[in-house]
Amino acid sequence: MGCSSSLPDRSSGQLAGLNSENGGVSDAKNLRVKLVLLGDSGVGKSCIVLRFVRGQFDPTSKVTVGASFLSQTIALQDSTTVKFEIWDTAGQERYAALAPLYYRGAAVAVVVYDITSPESFAKAQYWVKELQKHGNPDIVMALVGNKADLNEKREVPVQDGIDYAEKNGMFFIETSAKTADNINQLFEEIAKRLPRPASS
Amino acid sequence: MAELSFNLLHTLDPRRDAYGFALRPQHVQRYKEYAKIYKEEEGERSDKWKEFFERLVISDQPCSSDEEYKETLRVEATECKIETVLESEESDDSGGKKSISDGSKERDLEKEVHRSKETKTHEVQTWAQIRPSLGAIEIMMSSRILMSKDMIDEQKTISGDHLPSIEEAKSPGGASEEEFDGDVYVNATSDDNANATGTVTAEVDEVSPKNLFPLKEEVEFLVRGGVPKDLRGEVWQAFVGVKTRRVERYYQNLLAQEANDGEHKDHEDSSGVPKKWKRQIEKDIPRTFPGHPALDDNGRNSLRRLLLAYAQHNPSVGYCQAMNFFAGLLLLLMPEENAFWTLVGIIDDYFGGYYTEEMIESQVDQLVFEELMRERFPKLVNHLDYLGVQVAWISGPWFLSIFVNMLPWESVFRVWDVLLFEGNRVMLFRTALALMELYGPALVTTKDAGDAITLLQSLAGSTFDSSQLVLTACMGFLAVTEARLQELRTKHRPAVLVVVEERSKRGRVWKDSKGLASKLYSFKHDPVSLIEEKKSAEGGDNLELLNSLSVDSELGSLPDLQEQVVWLKVELCRLLEEKRAAVLRAEELETALMEMVKQDNRRELSARVELLEQELAELKQALADKREQETAMLQVLMRVEQEQRVTEDARISAEQDAAAQRYAVHVLQERYEKALASVAEMEKRVVIAESMLEATLQYESGQSKAHASPRSTRNQDTSTRKTGLLSFGLGWRDRNKGKPTDVKESNLSHSPNEGMDPSSSEKETKNEQKET
Repeated sequence: MGCSSSLPDRSSGQLAGLNSENGGVSDAKNLRVKLVLLGDSGVGKSCIVLRFVRGQFDPTSKVTVGASFLSQTIALQDSTTVKFEIWDTAGQERYAALAPLYYRGAAVAVVVYDITSPESFAKAQYWVKELQKHGNPDIVMALVGNKADLNEKREVPVQDGIDYAEKNGMFFIETSAKTADNINQLFEEIAKRLPRPASS
Repeated sequence: MAELSFNLLHTLDPRRDAYGFALRPQHVQRYKEYAKIYKEEEGERSDKWKEFFERLVISDQPCSSDEEYKETLRVEATECKIETVLESEESDDSGGKKSISDGSKERDLEKEVHRSKETKTHEVQTWAQIRPSLGAIEIMMSSRILMSKDMIDEQKTISGDHLPSIEEAKSPGGASEEEFDGDVYVNATSDDNANATGTVTAEVDEVSPKNLFPLKEEVEFLVRGGVPKDLRGEVWQAFVGVKTRRVERYYQNLLAQEANDGEHKDHEDSSGVPKKWKRQIEKDIPRTFPGHPALDDNGRNSLRRLLLAYAQHNPSVGYCQAMNFFAGLLLLLMPEENAFWTLVGIIDDYFGGYYTEEMIESQVDQLVFEELMRERFPKLVNHLDYLGVQVAWISGPWFLSIFVNMLPWESVFRVWDVLLFEGNRVMLFRTALALMELYGPALVTTKDAGDAITLLQSLAGSTFDSSQLVLTACMGFLAVTEARLQELRTKHRPAVLVVVEERSKRGRVWKDSKGLASKLYSFKHDPVSLIEEKKSAEGGDNLELLNSLSVDSELGSLPDLQEQVVWLKVELCRLLEEKRAAVLRAEELETALMEMVKQDNRRELSARVELLEQELAELKQALADKREQETAMLQVLMRVEQEQRVTEDARISAEQDAAAQRYAVHVLQERYEKALASVAEMEKRVVIAESMLEATLQYESGQSKAHASPRSTRNQDTSTRKTGLLSFGLGWRDRNKGKPTDVKESNLSHSPNEGMDPSSSEKETKNEQKET
């Protein structure tokens, strides 16, 4: 989807016009990217976004109902800019019914788990499968182990994350929204991995 | 208790609004501006409501025969009064009800504080009855609940979901109420309306039907103007019909059940709240209005109890994110048990099917909303389509959160005022449409999806003009009615069901009866006959006793599982039968439709064929005309060609003539040359002839000399003359050689003579000679 201009009608079951718009590329120098955050409730999806967009961290952030939206533009070293249109979804299981609304047509999916919670890791795997089945086939996926600052409470080994990500062709990183560790790196790495529109 | 602490604490923090909620930093300034307006509005509004109550009291007084009622009316005249019912398992003998009739808020607070301590130690719940002056509204509203319950009963009672458990729990509840000297009105709903207690029938009769309508109009008007802050909690309860919904001890039993579960955690198949909900609730409690002054430890405990009790009460919903906010909001306005019943009213009734596992109704509503949007704001939707923005991305969270955290709190409250009064989701749609109307013009100027969504979110988040919003919503979209919405929901529901079906097929397999029950619950819109349930309900005291017992021990699930299973099977069979019938009918209809379509097609086709034929004829005509023209043209062309050919021929013949003439000229020339040659020949011959003549003459003179001298002299003369002539002749010829043309001319003019008679020319020469 990132390169919807060169691959117009790839994604199945939706309007092509919609696609080219929200997969979003304006031109080779200024990319527009729809990104969706998925993952179990309470793993810190909203915190990652807030840290990335506003540079803030609130240990008692609000429950996300439905989904919330924020956007942030970053500049890369090769002087291209990438505008992330970020959909932060609700984590509770039943809200998965509404998730397709948000991940459909997304160019990037960031699947987040909590390194202190094996259940959230299992849930992340569920999301990866769901995306592989029903997401955009060209979607760039990142697996993120959040709460890396709680290393002493870690229950998901780094290697598990790396292995799973490698097996599924994903980019992997451990972050901490609390300490801001790797948050910007996460988005920069994603930006680098985006399929670029053919330079005209 | 939460309510009161909240009332005290609210104005302390400048970064929090009058309700104690955190303000976004970017909104602090605007909030300050609007705070004055809110205050003014609040003043006007409490005057209006006060006046309304006063009128109500006057008109009601003569009808009221209830002593207690009169007494409380007097109390009402003073100021805000909360009647608190304190119930505890240990204090059964206390009568369970304590009326505080002095008017000071402070003393209320003291008692509340005191009681909240009790709550901690004895696990006691607080139940406050709302002020009696709201009785009229309450009755008006509860009659609505009674009516809708009658219908819902018919649909739901036996389907194995939550409602029957209330219904059944009510009977024993009603019985115990009398012991407790509890609220008599509750009995009204506990039994079928057939044996409603006299009190309620009397009460309802007083107000309805003649008084009800104008009252409703007036209340509607007041509600749209907003409910005064101090009354809000109670007014909302009146709207939701908490008193009518309430079943004595039901809430306490749910909590006790939950506590039991907590003690026997090792029990594998505990019937209590499933772990996943408990965990989710624990996760979400600190994330519900974090930092709100009223949500201290006590507040959070209330919130937890409330959510757990609800999950226990309605397993088809359990716990869904968003409910934490509703429960928290309600706890700020009313005591815990009141909040519970209000929440039950909202989630079970107003938002039935919204927060269930599959969230079917909420998805349906999004499709309905999108259709309304397309109808109302086609340009805006076109623009959003162009940007690749789906309306549901934004409206979905609005609807699911009922605007909590989406709008400034004053606006949220105002929307909830109307929504709870109306008792359906119409206000949800109207408010969302009003927001689109207010902000659509700004939205169409956006250039990309991100900007559009960000703009709409931030504009909605700063909708401080709550009166404008509510007014736009209520007045601008009168065509959006419950009937219309139901119609649209029926239209869009199948699409959602198909997707949900697919999801559940590929995802999980529902094995337990709970899943089945929730499935059935999702079909609650289908009419389900009541008969069987009625039978089982009338099945005798034993059954009822059994029911009540099992409700006590196993809240949330139906008492007799086996019976339920049997019933479910029967129901399933019936449904299958119905489905089959429906399928058959659908097929029939389809064939009929096909037939109609075919006929229609045929008619249309023949018409078209006719038309085409006509067209064809016309075309043929045109073609013929064209051909004629073409032939005419061809003829003309041919004639022209012929003429051209003729002229060409003429030219050729002329050329030939010219050639012939040239040839003739040539021939003449030749002849002329031949003639010239012959002339030359002739001349030669003349010369020869002359020389012959000379020779002859010489011979003759020789002869004459010999014969006659005279003659010979004369002959001599002649011979000299002849020589002279000869020499002259030769000389002439020589002269002529110098001027050939002259010779020619003279020759030409002389030639006929020469050619015809050389002798004559000889004679001439002779004559010439004679002359000379």
